[in-house]
Parts: sequence; C-alpha cells; structure tokens
Amino acid sequence: MLQAYWYIAKMRILTTIAYRFEVFAAVGSQMIIMLAAVYLWKTAYSGDTSSTTMQLNQIVTYTIISILLGSVFICDVQDTIYHKIREGQIAVDLYRPIMLLGSYLADDLGTMMSSVVNKVLPLFVLASLLFEVPLPDSFTSFLLFVPSCVLSYAILWLLSAIVGLVAFWVMELGNMGMVKDSIVRILSGSIVPLWFFPSSVQTVSQFLPFQYTYQTPLAIYIGEISPLDALTAMGIQFVWIAALYALLYVVWSKAKKKTLIQGG
Amino acid sequence: MVTTVRHYYSVAVCYARMAIQRQLEYPLFLVSWLLMIPIAYFSGLWVLKILTDRFQSLNGWDFSQLAFIYSLGQFSHGLLVVFFITTWYIDGMVIQGEFDRLLLRPMNVFFQLVVSYVNFIGLVDLIPGTILFIYASHLVSFDWSLANILKLILIVIGGMLIRAALFICLSSVSFWTKRSSSLIGFTLNLLERTTMYPLSIYPFVLQMIFTFLIPIGFISFYPASEFLGQSSGFHIPFSMALWTPLVGIVFFVISQLTFNFGMKKYESAGS
Amino acid sequence: MAVIEVVDLVKEYMITKKESGLRGSLKSLFFPKKTTIRGVDGISFSIQRGEIVGYIGPNGAGKSTTIKMLTGILHPTSGSIQVCGISPQEDRKSVVRRLGVVFGQRTQLYWDLRLGESFELLRRIYQIDKTEYDETLRILTDVLKLSDFIDTPVRQLSLGQRMRGDLAAAMLHSPEVLFLDEPTIGLDADAKHAIRSFILEINRNRGVTVILTTHDLDDVEQLCSRLIVVNHGKVVEDGPIQSIVGKLAPKRLLVIELQHLGDDLSHPSAEIIKQEGLKIWYQFEKAKITASELISDLSRKLAIQDLSVQEPDIEDAIREVYKTTARI
Repeated sequence: MLQAYWYIAKMRILTTIAYRFEVFAAVGSQMIIMLAAVYLWKTAYSGDTSSTTMQLNQIVTYTIISILLGSVFICDVQDTIYHKIREGQIAVDLYRPIMLLGSYLADDLGTMMSSVVNKVLPLFVLASLLFEVPLPDSFTSFLLFVPSCVLSYAILWLLSAIVGLVAFWVMELGNMGMVKDSIVRILSGSIVPLWFFPSSVQTVSQFLPFQYTYQTPLAIYIGEISPLDALTAMGIQFVWIAALYALLYVVWSKAKKKTLIQGG
Repeated sequence: MVTTVRHYYSVAVCYARMAIQRQLEYPLFLVSWLLMIPIAYFSGLWVLKILTDRFQSLNGWDFSQLAFIYSLGQFSHGLLVVFFITTWYIDGMVIQGEFDRLLLRPMNVFFQLVVSYVNFIGLVDLIPGTILFIYASHLVSFDWSLANILKLILIVIGGMLIRAALFICLSSVSFWTKRSSSLIGFTLNLLERTTMYPLSIYPFVLQMIFTFLIPIGFISFYPASEFLGQSSGFHIPFSMALWTPLVGIVFFVISQLTFNFGMKKYESAGS
Repeated sequence: MAVIEVVDLVKEYMITKKESGLRGSLKSLFFPKKTTIRGVDGISFSIQRGEIVGYIGPNGAGKSTTIKMLTGILHPTSGSIQVCGISPQEDRKSVVRRLGVVFGQRTQLYWDLRLGESFELLRRIYQIDKTEYDETLRILTDVLKLSDFIDTPVRQLSLGQRMRGDLAAAMLHSPEVLFLDEPTIGLDADAKHAIRSFILEINRNRGVTVILTTHDLDDVEQLCSRLIVVNHGKVVEDGPIQSIVGKLAPKRLLVIELQHLGDDLSHPSAEIIKQEGLKIWYQFEKAKITASELISDLSRKLAIQDLSVQEPDIEDAIREVYKTTARI
C-alpha cells in the first residue's frame, strides 16, 4: 500500500527533473519576488526606523525564509480537485483503490521533495550570495522551527483541500482557490509580519488560522518569540489542524455523497 | 494595400464580436476573478501603506506617490490582459501544433494569434486600477489637463506594448525548446515587481538592466517620476510621453521579428 | 499542367534519445544523444487536375510529413514543390488560398464557436464574396446535412458531425485541391458513406483534385483511381489502382463445392490451399491461367455443384508492398 504512494511521489520527482525549464522559471520567479521584497525592506529601513524594534537583518532573514517556505509548501491539491471536478474526472478517481485524498497528499509530498532540491537549495544559495546567509537565531529556534513548519504545512494543506472541495458546489463561480490564496498571502504574515499591522487587525488575526501558517514558524526562526511562547503557538497550530481535519472530513463525506448520486 | 487593411480589419472585428458573445455566456465564472483581483490588488497597496506608516517614506516616495505609480502600472497591465492575453499561450500552441491551423489560412500568423481572442473580462482588471488612480491623482494633486491626459494615453499604450513584447519574446523561446516555457508566471512576477514599486529601490545594476536591456522602467517608473517631479536616477531628456510609446513600438517590432524567426523554426521542425 | 509537382523531396529530423528510469533521466539531462533521421527520403510525383490519388503507407512512412510540406506548414530540407504552379515555401498565402485541408485527428474549426460562426469567420478570412458564399454554404449544408448541428458549438459535436463540418469548412472557399488526412477515421459506416459520396461528387462536378491519406482500404477502393504507396520515406509504388493490385497480388482464388469427392482433385496450374470436406480452395495466377479455363478443366473431371471466384484484395496487395519494402 505504501508502495503505491511512493510510486506516485517518485513519478512526481521524475516529471520535475524532465521539466527543467519549468524549474528555472519557478526559481527565477521566486528570486524576483525575493529581490523585490528584500529591497523594499532595505529602502524602508533607510528611512525612519523609530517605530519598530526589529532589525533589518532580522526582517531580511524573515523574508528570505518566508519565500523558501512558499516554495516548499506545495498545495496543488486545491487546483487538482478543482480541475478534476470541472472535467468530470473525479468520479473516475473515486473508483481507484487507494484513498483519493491520500493520493493527492502523496502527489504534493513528492512535489515537495523535488522542490527542496530544485528550488529551496538554489534559492538558499542565491539568497546567501546576494544578501546574507539567512541563519536562525539560535539552535533552539531551529529545533522548534522544524516541527512548527510541519504543522503549518498541515494547516495549509487541509485548508487547500477544503477550498478545492468547495468547488463541488460552486464550480460555476470559478477557481475559489485563487481568492483564498490572496487572502492567505497577506494575512499569514508571509509578506509583512502581522505585528507591523494596526492592532485591530492583529486582534482579529489571532482568531484566524492564517497567521499560524507562516508567521509562527518564521517568528520562531528569527527568535522573535521565546521558546515558551513558541510551544504555545504550536499548541494553537495543533488545535487548528484538528478543527480543519474535522471540517475536511465533513466536507469530504458530503462531496462523496453528492458524486455518487449525481455521477461526477 | 487598402484591401489588405480592410481584409484584416473585418477579420479582427469578426473575432471580437464572437469573443464577446462567448464571454457573455458564462458570467458567473467571473465571480472568483472579481473577488480575487481586488483582494490581490488592495493587499499589495495595504503593504505599502503599512510600510509608509512605519517608515515615513520609501526613498523619498510617500504613500500618495507610491499609490500613483502602482495604479499607473496597472493600466498597461489591464490593457495587456484585454488585448494580448493570447501571447501567454504561445508556448502551449507550439507544443500542440496549433499553429498548423493558422498556417493554413491566407493571413499573417501573428495577426491571427493576437486578434483571435479579445479578453473583455480583462476589463475587470482595470476597475480597481482606475479607482485607485483617481484617488492617488487626487492625493498628489495631479493636473487633469488635456496635455496630461494625452500623455497618459500614450504612456499607457506604450506600456502595454512593452509588456506584450516581453511576453512574446519569452514565449517564443518554446519554438526552440519545444517545451512549455512556463516563463509566463515568471514574466508576470517580473513585470509586477518592477512596475508597482519605484525602480529606485533596486540597486544600480538592476536599474540599468531595466532601463537599457529590458525597458520595463518605461512602463510606470519613469513616467510617474516625471509626473510627480521625482528624481529618477538617469536624466532622460524629453518627455516620457515620447519615450514610452517609442520604446514600446521598437520593442514590439523586435518581438515580432523574434516571433517570425521562431515560426521559421516551427516550419522547419514541425510539432 | 500538373496541379502538384514534387521533385526529390527530402525532410530530415533531429531526435534526442531518452532513457527510462531515474538514472536515465538524469543522464539525458546532461548528455543528450541526438540523431538525424530522414522522414522523407527523396519523394517525387506529379498529380494532374481532377485526379483522386490515394497516398498510403504504414505509420511513420512519411505521409503526414509530405502533406504538411505540400500545404506549407513544414519546410523541406531539400527538393522542390509546386502547387498550382506556386511554391508553398515561397508564397504560403497564395498557395493556401487554393487549398482545402482536412486533418482527421485534429479539427480546423474554431473550438469555442458554433459551426456556423466558424464558417462566417472563414468567409472573412478567405475573403469570399457574399453571394458566392451563401450559395456554396447552401449546397454544402444540403449535401453534408449540416442543418441539424450548424448552431452547435464545435466542441460539442460528435466525431461524424465534426468531420462533415471540417469538410464543409475546407470547401467553403472553393479550393482547387483538397488534402484529406485520415478523413474517415473513427466514423461509423453511415458517416463514411456520406463523406465518400461527397468527395466523389465534388471531384466529378467541380473538378477538385483530391489527395487522400488513409489506412482505410475501403476508402481507397471506392475513391482512388491512382495510388502512391510510400514506405520509409520513399515512393515504392505509383500507378493506377488496378495495375498495382494486379502486379502485387496476382493470385486469385477459385472456391468450388463438389457434389461428391473425385479421385484426382489436382490441376497443373493451380494449387489447393485448403479443403474442407467437399469444399476446395484453388489458388492460381491470372497470368498463367484464366478462371474460366481452370473451371472448364476441373469440371471435366469433377462434379461441381457450386463455385465462386475471389479477386485479390487491396489489403493483400498493400500487405505485400509493406512486406517487401520492409526488407529495405
């Protein structure tokens, strides 16, 4: 059974190697975003820095790692489900013997593995050459960072799966995943950490899952959060994972029921 | 000569008419697009607001000026999405052999490509930009004189041509690589990051590249600098209203030559 | 004057060899192996106005490549092509105006548009005079029975409908030459019949020259007066259908049913290839002995109840060609 999943992941890796231009283009894309973000911050910090205690090098590291995480947090499941529904393929897939969502996860994990080699490595090297090596604040920070990332990915993936499945009901409205991505991008702290935002926004954000996807692990990495607070944050991540998992389960069952009645 | 122009014109109009009909048939599809565009758009602006609130200004550009350059850049993008969106699919067409069909018709292949789909839905992209531009121009006390309006039109059209030329050149790579170039996403990011912020945030080397090698600076940075009286690194004589459309036309012609060159490769190698 | 004149046409390709598996993919990433192959290796023929020519050969023989070069989609490596006196490589637009092309695998119609709208677009692209267009469209709609689906979007058409639509689209501008690449592939018997009669009619009434590539030998049998057979990029046979068949499959079959078994069934000029009880299959060569001679010979010593003569099949002939040329 596990072999089937491994095979799927391996196919992904093979495909990615074959498409080296795509890889160059993707790395290039991320480099542009990184350049723009870092230079924006550098320009900002050349102005009046009195309103913040954060150092330039901290925010640069934050930005670089944020982009690396973005390359690695693959959630293609969202688009996959959407397109399969649009093309009426989903009924066919439901007949396959392995768990459908599980296979999508295997797909994404496979892409993630090749992304680490294809994207993260070159991006890390380029960033180190152009700016500075984005080192974690301390060894402890790094130790806490890794599990937090895993939890972040879980939250993102579950969210993407749910949004993708929503297409079952609102397919005609187009790809809602794009909408969700734009919201996540800003509210997750991936572009600008939330503590730069007005306090009203920060309060609301605490009750949403988004800041726990990027900001939490990133803040841990640069040492803005004490280890104790980090563990608390990870606890909250767990809570969100549980909640989203439950939601996904409900949505998935409803979706399956709908397909079996309507036939894809 | 006249008959050729009339011929091409009638074909273009026919295509446009059918494109509108097609797009009117699935209006609901717009909903996700309509939701996403403003969110993406205003969040970009929000970031700038937060930065300027905290740090007062970016290289001497305050929020109103940043909003101005941001929305100015968006105009040429919106027009590109309406008139030249077909250029994003060149690589796919090469691989699928879609150009065969165009080669079988007694008309210029590039023309058929561009004219075959007018993306009226793209007009939606222009709405947030327009709103923002009006707001920003109010903040900077922009003078809505006839001369300025004319300049704006020339600059926006020139900007559209520069953008289109860039997509065409990069997509044409697939004539040689026979691969989906997926450079479209890359190009979109590139254009976005260089037209929504002032180029002066980038180091000198990049500014050189984006002025003389890939003339992106002419899309929004130099025109905005001129309108707002901001310094722009290089001192470029004459008005941007002259340069931007000129650069646009020249770059567009270069992209045409690249495309034709690629078509020759397609014709010699097939699909 | 020949409508199509092809001299020493050559088309070379470069292909990279890829290996399988993870290791193979990595290898071909850094050390790609390239070889040149000749898809078309010196083809010459000339086609006169009003002919219906079958251009056949096994897969990969170079048929589609030749068609693409004739229609200006592909440029040859060397050799010359003249269609209606013009070289497609030098003046694509003029040549293409006179051609109609139907690719069985891929449509020339516009996917998102309704069939009628595709026609409207083509009217403007080919600058067809309105009255002429209306008349042509009327005839085409009639003959190909398009009125049922002329308002359906092309992507919703069945294969048979789409083929008829493609044929109409190819004929709208009254071309002199029609290229058909697998026009009946995947169609049911009815649709095939409709398309074949359409082709015969336009050839007869409008003098349209037709070049047909197909694997369907019924197409060949019913439509083509002349056959050009290609294999491995070269012309291996070129002539009237009957002579090719006669040349390559000269054996006929005589099947007789006896009232009762005779002692001597043999005949010096015929070979018994099968016997089932009272039914005997004799194979003989046309050149050596005629059917009537064989029958009268056999009837002298055997009591024949029933008999039939089978002509050699195009399929047999073609198979022979492929077999012999495969040794090249």
